[in-house]
Amino acid sequence: MLRKSLTAILASAILLPFLFFAVLSVGQAWFYPSVMPQRFTLANWQQLWSGQSELQFGLVRSLILGLGVAILSTLLGFIISKEIALAKYKNRWLLLAYWPFVLSPVVLAILVQRFFLLTGMSGELIGVLLGQLILAFPFTVIFFQSFWSPEVLQLGQQSQTLGASAVYTLRYVLLPLAKPLLLICFFQTFLISWFEYGLTQFIGLGKVKTLTILVFKYVNEANIFHAALASLLIMLPPALLLWANKKFVFRGI
Amino acid sequence: MLTIQHINKAFQSHTVLDRVSVELPEGQVLAVLGRSGCGKTTLLKTIAGLLAPDAGSIKWAGESINEVPPREREMVYLFQEPLLFPHLSVFENIAYGLHVRKTPEAEVQNKVQSMLRELELQEHAQKKPGQLSGGQRQRVAFGRAIIFLPRVLLLDEPFASLDAQTRSAMQKLFLRLARKYGITALFVTHDVKEALLIGDCFAYMAAGQLTLYRSKAAFMDDPATGVQEELAFWNNIEHNIPTNDK
Repeated sequence: MLRKSLTAILASAILLPFLFFAVLSVGQAWFYPSVMPQRFTLANWQQLWSGQSELQFGLVRSLILGLGVAILSTLLGFIISKEIALAKYKNRWLLLAYWPFVLSPVVLAILVQRFFLLTGMSGELIGVLLGQLILAFPFTVIFFQSFWSPEVLQLGQQSQTLGASAVYTLRYVLLPLAKPLLLICFFQTFLISWFEYGLTQFIGLGKVKTLTILVFKYVNEANIFHAALASLLIMLPPALLLWANKKFVFRGI
Repeated sequence: MLTIQHINKAFQSHTVLDRVSVELPEGQVLAVLGRSGCGKTTLLKTIAGLLAPDAGSIKWAGESINEVPPREREMVYLFQEPLLFPHLSVFENIAYGLHVRKTPEAEVQNKVQSMLRELELQEHAQKKPGQLSGGQRQRVAFGRAIIFLPRVLLLDEPFASLDAQTRSAMQKLFLRLARKYGITALFVTHDVKEALLIGDCFAYMAAGQLTLYRSKAAFMDDPATGVQEELAFWNNIEHNIPTNDK
Protein backbone atom coordinates (compact mmCIF):
# COMPACT_ATOMS: atom_id res chain seq x y z
CA MET A 1 0.00 0.00 0.00
CA LEU A 2 2.76 2.39 1.06
CA ARG A 3 4.76 1.42 -2.00
CA LYS A 4 1.79 2.08 -4.28
CA SER A 5 1.18 5.46 -2.66
CA LEU A 6 4.82 6.43 -3.04
CA THR A 7 4.77 5.38 -6.72
CA ALA A 8 1.61 7.42 -7.27
CA ILE A 9 3.17 10.49 -5.62
CA LEU A 10 6.34 10.08 -7.68
CA ALA A 11 4.41 9.63 -10.92
CA SER A 12 2.28 12.68 -10.12
CA ALA A 13 5.37 14.76 -9.37
CA ILE A 14 6.75 13.88 -12.81
CA LEU A 15 3.53 14.06 -14.81
CA LEU A 16 1.82 17.10 -13.23
CA PRO A 17 4.29 19.69 -14.60
CA PHE A 18 3.78 18.18 -18.08
CA LEU A 19 0.02 18.42 -17.68
CA PHE A 20 0.22 21.96 -16.30
CA PHE A 21 2.43 23.23 -19.13
CA ALA A 22 0.42 21.33 -21.74
CA VAL A 23 -2.78 23.08 -20.59
CA LEU A 24 -1.06 26.46 -20.50
CA SER A 25 0.47 25.95 -23.95
CA VAL A 26 -3.00 25.70 -25.50
CA GLY A 27 -4.46 28.48 -23.37
CA GLN A 28 -5.33 32.06 -24.20
CA ALA A 29 -6.36 34.94 -21.96
CA TRP A 30 -5.91 33.75 -18.42
CA PHE A 31 -6.98 36.29 -15.82
CA TYR A 32 -7.04 36.21 -12.05
CA PRO A 33 -8.94 34.64 -10.25
CA SER A 34 -9.90 32.09 -12.97
CA VAL A 35 -8.48 28.64 -12.36
CA MET A 36 -8.24 27.86 -16.08
CA PRO A 37 -7.55 30.05 -19.15
CA GLN A 38 -10.62 31.66 -20.76
CA ARG A 39 -10.05 30.14 -24.19
CA PHE A 40 -8.16 27.19 -25.63
CA THR A 41 -6.42 27.22 -29.02
CA LEU A 42 -3.77 25.31 -30.91
CA ALA A 43 -2.38 28.56 -32.35
CA ASN A 44 0.88 28.36 -30.37
CA TRP A 45 1.48 24.79 -31.52
CA GLN A 46 0.57 25.62 -35.14
CA GLN A 47 3.03 28.50 -34.99
CA LEU A 48 5.73 26.06 -33.85
CA TRP A 49 5.25 23.75 -36.85
CA SER A 50 4.48 26.43 -39.43
CA GLY A 51 8.16 27.30 -39.81
CA GLN A 52 10.12 30.52 -39.40
CA SER A 53 8.97 30.82 -35.79
CA GLU A 54 11.41 31.79 -33.07
CA LEU A 55 10.43 28.74 -31.04
CA GLN A 56 11.04 26.35 -33.94
CA PHE A 57 14.50 27.83 -34.54
CA GLY A 58 15.18 27.61 -30.81
CA LEU A 59 14.22 23.94 -30.76
CA VAL A 60 16.44 23.12 -33.76
CA ARG A 61 19.36 25.10 -32.28
CA SER A 62 19.01 23.32 -28.95
CA LEU A 63 18.90 19.94 -30.68
CA ILE A 64 21.99 20.71 -32.78
CA LEU A 65 23.88 21.94 -29.72
CA GLY A 66 22.72 19.08 -27.50
CA LEU A 67 23.53 16.33 -30.00
CA GLY A 68 26.80 18.00 -31.06
CA VAL A 69 28.02 18.44 -27.50
CA ALA A 70 26.90 14.95 -26.48
CA ILE A 71 28.51 13.17 -29.45
CA LEU A 72 31.78 15.14 -29.42
CA SER A 73 32.32 15.17 -25.67
CA THR A 74 31.40 11.48 -25.23
CA LEU A 75 33.75 10.35 -28.00
CA LEU A 76 36.60 12.66 -26.99
CA GLY A 77 36.16 11.88 -23.31
CA PHE A 78 36.26 8.12 -23.97
CA ILE A 79 39.49 8.38 -25.97
CA ILE A 80 41.30 10.99 -23.87
CA SER A 81 40.40 9.38 -20.53
CA LYS A 82 42.12 6.19 -21.74
CA GLU A 83 45.27 8.12 -22.56
CA ILE A 84 45.12 9.73 -19.11
CA ALA A 85 44.63 6.32 -17.46
CA LEU A 86 47.82 5.15 -19.20
CA ALA A 87 49.75 8.40 -18.64
CA LYS A 88 52.75 8.61 -16.35
CA TYR A 89 51.41 11.69 -14.54
CA LYS A 90 47.75 10.64 -14.49
CA ASN A 91 46.76 12.82 -11.50
CA ARG A 92 48.18 16.00 -13.01
CA TRP A 93 46.05 15.56 -16.12
CA LEU A 94 43.00 14.79 -14.01
CA LEU A 95 43.56 17.96 -12.00
CA LEU A 96 43.41 19.85 -15.29
CA ALA A 97 40.04 18.21 -16.04
CA TYR A 98 38.66 19.55 -12.75
CA TRP A 99 39.81 23.08 -13.59
CA PRO A 100 36.56 24.35 -15.24
CA PHE A 101 34.50 23.14 -12.28
CA VAL A 102 36.83 24.64 -9.69
CA LEU A 103 36.64 28.01 -11.46
CA SER A 104 32.86 27.86 -11.87
CA PRO A 105 31.24 28.23 -15.32
CA VAL A 106 30.61 31.99 -14.90
CA VAL A 107 34.26 32.83 -14.22
CA LEU A 108 35.26 30.48 -17.00
CA ALA A 109 32.93 32.27 -19.43
CA ILE A 110 34.55 35.62 -18.58
CA LEU A 111 38.02 34.13 -19.07
CA VAL A 112 37.29 32.57 -22.46
CA GLN A 113 35.14 35.43 -23.77
CA ARG A 114 38.16 37.27 -25.26
CA PHE A 115 39.16 34.16 -27.23
CA PHE A 116 35.69 33.92 -28.75
CA LEU A 117 35.63 37.65 -29.56
CA LEU A 118 39.04 37.48 -31.27
CA THR A 119 38.10 34.45 -33.34
CA GLY A 120 34.76 35.92 -34.35
CA MET A 121 32.85 33.07 -32.73
CA SER A 122 30.95 35.21 -30.25
CA GLY A 123 27.27 35.27 -31.08
CA GLU A 124 27.66 32.20 -33.31
CA LEU A 125 26.33 28.67 -32.86
CA ILE A 126 29.83 27.19 -33.24
CA GLY A 127 31.10 29.48 -30.46
CA VAL A 128 28.36 28.32 -28.09
CA LEU A 129 29.06 24.69 -29.04
CA LEU A 130 32.75 25.12 -28.17
CA GLY A 131 31.85 27.02 -25.00
CA GLN A 132 29.59 24.20 -23.83
CA LEU A 133 32.27 21.65 -24.72
CA ILE A 134 34.63 23.41 -22.30
CA LEU A 135 32.27 22.20 -19.57
CA ALA A 136 31.07 18.90 -21.01
CA PHE A 137 34.43 17.52 -22.18
CA PRO A 138 36.22 17.59 -18.78
CA PHE A 139 33.10 16.06 -17.26
CA THR A 140 33.34 13.09 -19.65
CA VAL A 141 37.08 12.71 -19.02
CA ILE A 142 36.40 12.42 -15.28
CA PHE A 143 33.33 10.23 -15.91
CA PHE A 144 35.24 7.61 -17.97
CA GLN A 145 38.12 7.33 -15.48
CA SER A 146 36.11 4.70 -13.63
CA PHE A 147 35.85 2.64 -16.82
CA TRP A 148 39.59 2.42 -17.58
CA SER A 149 40.39 0.15 -14.65
CA PRO A 150 43.56 -2.00 -14.72
CA GLU A 151 41.34 -4.97 -15.62
CA VAL A 152 39.86 -3.28 -18.70
CA LEU A 153 43.33 -2.14 -19.81
CA GLN A 154 44.57 -5.72 -19.37
CA LEU A 155 41.63 -7.04 -21.42
CA GLY A 156 42.80 -4.72 -24.18
CA GLN A 157 46.33 -6.11 -23.90
CA GLN A 158 44.98 -9.67 -23.86
CA SER A 159 43.06 -9.00 -27.05
CA GLN A 160 46.24 -7.66 -28.69
CA THR A 161 48.31 -10.72 -27.81
CA LEU A 162 45.49 -12.87 -29.24
CA GLY A 163 46.15 -11.11 -32.54
CA ALA A 164 43.51 -8.37 -32.58
CA SER A 165 44.22 -4.90 -33.97
CA ALA A 166 43.42 -1.77 -31.97
CA VAL A 167 40.28 -1.19 -34.08
CA TYR A 168 39.11 -4.80 -33.62
CA THR A 169 39.72 -4.58 -29.86
CA LEU A 170 37.80 -1.31 -29.69
CA ARG A 171 34.87 -2.69 -31.68
CA TYR A 172 34.53 -6.13 -30.14
CA VAL A 173 35.86 -5.68 -26.61
CA LEU A 174 36.03 -2.10 -25.35
CA LEU A 175 32.90 -0.58 -26.89
CA PRO A 176 30.59 -3.47 -25.84
CA LEU A 177 32.01 -3.24 -22.32
CA ALA A 178 31.61 0.53 -22.22
CA LYS A 179 28.16 0.63 -23.87
CA PRO A 180 26.11 1.35 -20.71
CA LEU A 181 28.55 4.07 -19.62
CA LEU A 182 28.64 5.58 -23.12
CA LEU A 183 24.84 5.83 -23.13
CA ILE A 184 24.71 7.41 -19.68
CA CYS A 185 27.49 9.84 -20.62
CA PHE A 186 25.73 10.78 -23.86
CA PHE A 187 22.53 11.39 -21.92
CA GLN A 188 24.25 13.48 -19.24
CA THR A 189 26.20 15.67 -21.66
CA PHE A 190 23.08 16.19 -23.79
CA LEU A 191 21.35 17.49 -20.68
CA ILE A 192 24.32 19.70 -19.76
CA SER A 193 23.96 21.40 -23.14
CA TRP A 194 20.16 21.32 -23.22
CA PHE A 195 19.76 23.21 -19.94
CA GLU A 196 22.87 25.42 -20.23
CA TYR A 197 22.09 29.11 -19.77
CA GLY A 198 25.05 31.18 -18.49
CA LEU A 199 27.73 30.26 -21.04
CA THR A 200 25.20 30.19 -23.89
CA GLN A 201 23.97 33.68 -23.08
CA PHE A 202 27.47 35.06 -22.50
CA ILE A 203 29.21 33.57 -25.56
CA GLY A 204 26.08 33.69 -27.73
CA LEU A 205 25.66 37.42 -26.90
CA GLY A 206 21.91 36.80 -26.72
CA LYS A 207 21.87 36.03 -30.47
CA VAL A 208 22.00 32.26 -30.13
CA LYS A 209 18.51 31.69 -28.78
CA THR A 210 18.21 28.16 -27.48
CA LEU A 211 15.05 26.87 -25.82
CA THR A 212 16.44 27.61 -22.35
CA ILE A 213 17.22 31.19 -23.37
CA LEU A 214 13.72 31.52 -24.88
CA VAL A 215 12.00 30.28 -21.71
CA PHE A 216 13.68 33.05 -19.70
CA LYS A 217 12.89 35.56 -22.44
CA TYR A 218 9.17 34.64 -22.49
CA VAL A 219 8.99 34.65 -18.69
CA ASN A 220 10.56 38.13 -18.63
CA GLU A 221 8.03 39.26 -21.22
CA ALA A 222 5.21 37.71 -19.12
CA ASN A 223 4.29 35.65 -22.18
CA ILE A 224 3.18 32.68 -20.12
CA PHE A 225 1.64 30.68 -22.99
CA HIS A 226 4.82 30.73 -25.08
CA ALA A 227 6.88 30.16 -21.92
CA ALA A 228 4.72 27.08 -21.17
CA LEU A 229 5.16 25.71 -24.69
CA ALA A 230 8.93 26.30 -24.58
CA SER A 231 9.10 24.68 -21.12
CA LEU A 232 7.18 21.68 -22.39
CA LEU A 233 9.59 21.31 -25.30
CA ILE A 234 12.55 21.61 -22.91
CA MET A 235 11.14 18.89 -20.67
CA LEU A 236 10.25 16.48 -23.47
CA PRO A 237 13.64 15.24 -24.80
CA PRO A 238 15.15 14.65 -21.34
CA ALA A 239 12.01 12.72 -20.38
CA LEU A 240 12.32 10.62 -23.54
CA LEU A 241 16.03 10.06 -22.92
CA LEU A 242 15.33 9.08 -19.34
CA TRP A 243 12.75 6.60 -20.54
CA ALA A 244 15.16 5.17 -23.15
CA ASN A 245 17.97 5.10 -20.60
CA LYS A 246 15.81 3.21 -18.15
CA LYS A 247 14.72 0.78 -20.85
CA PHE A 248 18.15 0.06 -22.35
CA VAL A 249 20.75 0.90 -19.73
CA PHE A 250 19.14 -0.30 -16.55
CA ARG A 251 17.45 -3.30 -18.16
CA GLY A 252 17.74 -6.34 -15.92
CA ILE A 253 18.56 -4.41 -12.75
CA MET B 1 63.34 -21.21 -31.48
CA LEU B 2 62.78 -18.24 -29.18
CA THR B 3 66.05 -16.46 -28.46
CA ILE B 4 66.32 -13.67 -25.94
CA GLN B 5 69.66 -11.91 -25.67
CA HIS B 6 70.75 -9.55 -22.89
CA ILE B 7 67.35 -7.98 -22.26
CA ASN B 8 67.42 -4.99 -19.92
CA LYS B 9 64.43 -3.20 -18.49
CA ALA B 10 64.29 -0.52 -15.79
CA PHE B 11 61.43 1.49 -14.33
CA GLN B 12 62.88 4.89 -13.41
CA SER B 13 66.09 3.94 -11.59
CA HIS B 14 64.99 0.44 -10.59
CA THR B 15 66.38 -2.34 -12.81
CA VAL B 16 63.78 -5.09 -13.23
CA LEU B 17 65.44 -7.17 -15.94
CA ASP B 18 69.22 -7.38 -15.84
CA ARG B 19 70.79 -8.78 -19.03
CA VAL B 20 68.35 -11.69 -19.27
CA SER B 21 69.12 -14.31 -21.91
CA VAL B 22 67.04 -17.37 -22.79
CA GLU B 23 66.97 -19.96 -25.56
CA LEU B 24 63.78 -21.92 -25.86
CA PRO B 25 63.49 -24.64 -28.55
CA GLU B 26 60.10 -25.21 -30.19
CA GLY B 27 57.78 -27.62 -28.40
CA GLN B 28 59.55 -27.19 -25.03
CA VAL B 29 58.14 -25.76 -21.81
CA LEU B 30 60.56 -23.60 -19.83
CA ALA B 31 59.57 -23.42 -16.17
CA VAL B 32 60.79 -20.17 -14.62
CA LEU B 33 60.84 -20.27 -10.84
CA GLY B 34 61.01 -17.03 -8.90
CA ARG B 35 59.71 -15.21 -5.87
CA SER B 36 57.28 -12.28 -6.09
CA GLY B 37 58.81 -9.10 -7.50
CA CYS B 38 61.78 -10.82 -9.16
CA GLY B 39 60.83 -9.53 -12.64
CA LYS B 40 58.98 -12.58 -14.03
CA THR B 41 55.92 -10.65 -15.18
CA THR B 42 58.06 -7.94 -16.77
CA LEU B 43 60.00 -10.63 -18.65
CA LEU B 44 56.82 -12.20 -20.05
CA LYS B 45 55.28 -8.83 -20.96
CA THR B 46 58.50 -7.81 -22.72
CA ILE B 47 58.48 -11.01 -24.76
CA ALA B 48 54.78 -10.49 -25.60
CA GLY B 49 55.57 -6.96 -26.81
CA LEU B 50 53.44 -5.28 -24.15
CA LEU B 51 56.57 -3.62 -22.74
CA ALA B 52 59.53 -2.40 -24.77
CA PRO B 53 62.99 -3.51 -23.56
CA ASP B 54 65.59 -0.81 -22.85
CA ALA B 55 68.26 -2.97 -24.45
CA GLY B 56 68.77 -6.45 -25.89
CA SER B 57 66.98 -8.43 -28.55
CA ILE B 58 64.14 -10.92 -28.85
CA LYS B 59 64.31 -13.24 -31.86
CA TRP B 60 62.03 -15.87 -33.31
CA ALA B 61 63.66 -18.32 -35.73
CA GLY B 62 66.69 -16.03 -35.88
CA GLU B 63 64.75 -12.88 -36.82
CA SER B 64 64.42 -9.94 -34.47
CA ILE B 65 60.87 -9.22 -33.35
CA ASN B 66 61.71 -6.21 -31.16
CA GLU B 67 59.75 -3.89 -33.45
CA VAL B 68 56.90 -6.32 -34.17
CA PRO B 69 53.65 -5.22 -32.45
CA PRO B 70 52.06 -7.66 -29.94
CA ARG B 71 49.22 -8.62 -32.28
CA GLU B 72 51.68 -9.85 -34.92
CA ARG B 73 54.01 -11.76 -32.60
CA GLU B 74 51.76 -14.80 -32.19
CA MET B 75 52.86 -14.97 -28.56
CA VAL B 76 49.93 -15.13 -26.20
CA TYR B 77 50.37 -13.75 -22.70
CA LEU B 78 48.13 -15.36 -20.09
CA PHE B 79 47.57 -13.20 -17.04
CA GLN B 80 47.59 -14.57 -13.50
CA GLU B 81 43.80 -14.13 -13.37
CA PRO B 82 41.99 -15.67 -16.35
CA LEU B 83 41.02 -12.50 -18.18
CA LEU B 84 38.01 -13.60 -20.19
CA PHE B 85 35.90 -11.13 -22.12
CA PRO B 86 32.93 -10.80 -19.75
CA HIS B 87 30.37 -9.90 -22.44
CA LEU B 88 31.19 -12.98 -24.57
CA SER B 89 30.08 -16.56 -23.96
CA VAL B 90 32.55 -19.40 -23.36
CA PHE B 91 32.19 -20.38 -27.03
CA GLU B 92 32.81 -16.83 -28.24
CA ASN B 93 35.77 -16.40 -25.91
CA ILE B 94 37.46 -19.54 -27.26
CA ALA B 95 36.61 -18.55 -30.84
CA TYR B 96 38.05 -15.02 -30.38
CA GLY B 97 41.50 -15.68 -31.89
CA LEU B 98 39.93 -17.53 -34.83
CA HIS B 99 37.49 -14.69 -35.54
CA VAL B 100 40.38 -12.21 -35.38
CA ARG B 101 42.12 -14.28 -38.07
CA LYS B 102 38.92 -14.37 -40.18
CA THR B 103 38.77 -18.18 -40.06
CA PRO B 104 35.75 -19.56 -42.00
CA GLU B 105 32.75 -20.04 -39.72
CA ALA B 106 32.44 -23.80 -40.33
CA GLU B 107 36.07 -24.26 -39.28
CA VAL B 108 35.50 -22.06 -36.22
CA GLN B 109 32.55 -24.23 -35.18
CA ASN B 110 34.56 -27.45 -35.60
CA LYS B 111 37.66 -26.23 -33.80
CA VAL B 112 35.78 -24.65 -30.90
CA GLN B 113 33.55 -27.71 -30.40
CA SER B 114 36.61 -29.92 -30.42
CA MET B 115 38.39 -27.62 -27.94
CA LEU B 116 35.32 -27.57 -25.68
CA ARG B 117 35.40 -31.39 -25.59
CA GLU B 118 39.12 -31.28 -24.85
CA LEU B 119 38.50 -28.92 -21.95
CA GLU B 120 35.38 -30.79 -20.81
CA LEU B 121 33.35 -27.62 -21.09
CA GLN B 122 30.73 -28.66 -23.68
CA GLU B 123 27.77 -28.02 -21.40
CA HIS B 124 29.10 -24.54 -20.48
CA ALA B 125 29.51 -23.30 -24.08
CA GLN B 126 26.78 -20.68 -23.88
CA LYS B 127 27.54 -19.51 -20.35
CA LYS B 128 29.14 -16.14 -19.60
CA PRO B 129 32.48 -16.09 -17.69
CA GLY B 130 30.73 -14.80 -14.57
CA GLN B 131 28.84 -18.10 -14.35
CA LEU B 132 32.01 -20.23 -14.24
CA SER B 133 34.29 -21.35 -11.41
CA GLY B 134 37.93 -20.21 -11.23
CA GLY B 135 39.22 -23.48 -12.70
CA GLN B 136 36.69 -23.42 -15.54
CA ARG B 137 37.62 -19.83 -16.38
CA GLN B 138 41.29 -20.78 -16.50
CA ARG B 139 40.47 -23.69 -18.83
CA VAL B 140 38.61 -21.31 -21.15
CA ALA B 141 41.60 -18.95 -21.10
CA PHE B 142 43.86 -21.87 -22.10
CA GLY B 143 41.54 -22.97 -24.86
CA ARG B 144 41.29 -19.43 -26.20
CA ALA B 145 45.08 -19.11 -26.21
CA ILE B 146 46.00 -22.40 -27.87
CA ILE B 147 43.17 -22.86 -30.37
CA PHE B 148 45.04 -20.99 -33.10
CA LEU B 149 48.38 -22.58 -32.16
CA PRO B 150 50.48 -19.52 -31.30
CA ARG B 151 54.26 -19.62 -31.52
CA VAL B 152 54.76 -19.21 -27.78
CA LEU B 153 52.49 -19.30 -24.76
CA LEU B 154 53.55 -17.00 -21.92
CA LEU B 155 51.98 -18.10 -18.66
CA ASP B 156 52.18 -15.82 -15.64
CA GLU B 157 51.50 -17.98 -12.56
CA PRO B 158 48.23 -19.16 -14.12
CA PHE B 159 47.24 -21.47 -11.27
CA ALA B 160 48.27 -19.28 -8.36
CA SER B 161 44.73 -18.37 -7.36
CA LEU B 162 43.29 -21.90 -7.56
CA ASP B 163 42.75 -24.36 -4.72
CA ALA B 164 45.13 -27.32 -4.44
CA GLN B 165 42.81 -29.86 -6.07
CA THR B 166 41.84 -27.67 -9.04
CA ARG B 167 45.46 -26.63 -9.38
CA SER B 168 46.57 -30.23 -9.68
CA ALA B 169 43.86 -30.95 -12.28
CA MET B 170 44.89 -27.87 -14.26
CA GLN B 171 48.56 -28.88 -14.20
CA LYS B 172 47.64 -32.27 -15.66
CA LEU B 173 45.42 -30.65 -18.28
CA PHE B 174 48.19 -28.24 -19.25
CA LEU B 175 50.70 -31.06 -19.61
CA ARG B 176 48.29 -33.10 -21.74
CA LEU B 177 47.53 -30.17 -24.05
CA ALA B 178 51.16 -29.09 -24.21
CA ARG B 179 52.17 -32.57 -25.39
CA LYS B 180 49.25 -32.90 -27.81
CA TYR B 181 49.71 -29.53 -29.54
CA GLY B 182 53.51 -29.33 -29.16
CA ILE B 183 53.20 -26.06 -27.28
CA THR B 184 56.26 -23.87 -26.77
CA ALA B 185 55.79 -22.10 -23.46
CA LEU B 186 57.39 -20.01 -20.75
CA PHE B 187 55.69 -21.03 -17.55
CA VAL B 188 56.36 -18.69 -14.65
CA THR B 189 55.66 -19.94 -11.13
CA HIS B 190 56.74 -19.45 -7.54
CA ASP B 191 55.88 -23.06 -6.69
CA VAL B 192 58.85 -25.48 -6.78
CA LYS B 193 56.65 -28.56 -7.27
CA GLU B 194 54.76 -26.95 -10.12
CA ALA B 195 58.00 -25.97 -11.86
CA LEU B 196 59.33 -29.53 -11.60
CA LEU B 197 56.07 -31.02 -12.82
CA ILE B 198 55.47 -28.69 -15.77
CA GLY B 199 58.92 -27.89 -17.13
CA ASP B 200 60.99 -29.61 -19.83
CA CYS B 201 63.79 -27.17 -19.02
CA PHE B 202 64.30 -24.96 -16.01
CA ALA B 203 65.35 -21.46 -14.98
CA TYR B 204 65.51 -19.52 -11.75
CA MET B 205 64.95 -15.80 -11.53
CA ALA B 206 66.00 -13.45 -8.74
CA ALA B 207 66.47 -9.67 -8.68
CA GLY B 208 66.01 -9.41 -12.44
CA GLN B 209 68.66 -12.00 -13.27
CA LEU B 210 67.81 -15.32 -14.87
CA THR B 211 69.82 -18.52 -14.42
CA LEU B 212 69.23 -21.32 -16.93
CA TYR B 213 70.01 -24.92 -15.94
CA ARG B 214 71.40 -27.65 -18.17
CA SER B 215 69.23 -30.33 -16.58
CA LYS B 216 66.53 -31.00 -14.03
CA ALA B 217 69.21 -32.38 -11.69
CA ALA B 218 71.23 -29.16 -11.87
CA PHE B 219 68.07 -27.16 -11.12
CA MET B 220 67.31 -29.38 -8.13
CA ASP B 221 70.86 -29.24 -6.80
CA ASP B 222 71.10 -25.45 -6.76
CA PRO B 223 70.32 -24.29 -3.18
CA ALA B 224 68.91 -21.01 -4.55
CA THR B 225 65.92 -22.76 -6.16
CA GLY B 226 64.77 -24.14 -2.79
CA VAL B 227 64.20 -27.67 -4.14
CA GLN B 228 66.57 -29.23 -1.59
CA GLU B 229 64.92 -27.29 1.18
CA GLU B 230 61.51 -28.57 0.06
CA LEU B 231 62.77 -32.16 -0.11
CA ALA B 232 64.35 -31.86 3.34
CA PHE B 233 61.05 -30.57 4.71
CA TRP B 234 59.08 -33.56 3.42
CA ASN B 235 61.79 -36.03 4.55
CA ASN B 236 61.69 -34.48 7.97
CA ILE B 237 57.90 -34.78 8.11
CA GLU B 238 58.12 -38.43 7.02
CA HIS B 239 60.65 -39.30 9.74
CA ASN B 240 58.66 -37.57 12.46
CA ILE B 241 55.35 -39.31 11.75
CA PRO B 242 54.83 -41.95 14.47
CA THR B 243 54.18 -45.46 13.08
CA ASN B 244 52.16 -48.34 14.58
CA ASP B 245 55.07 -50.79 14.17
CA LYS B 246 56.62 -49.88 17.50
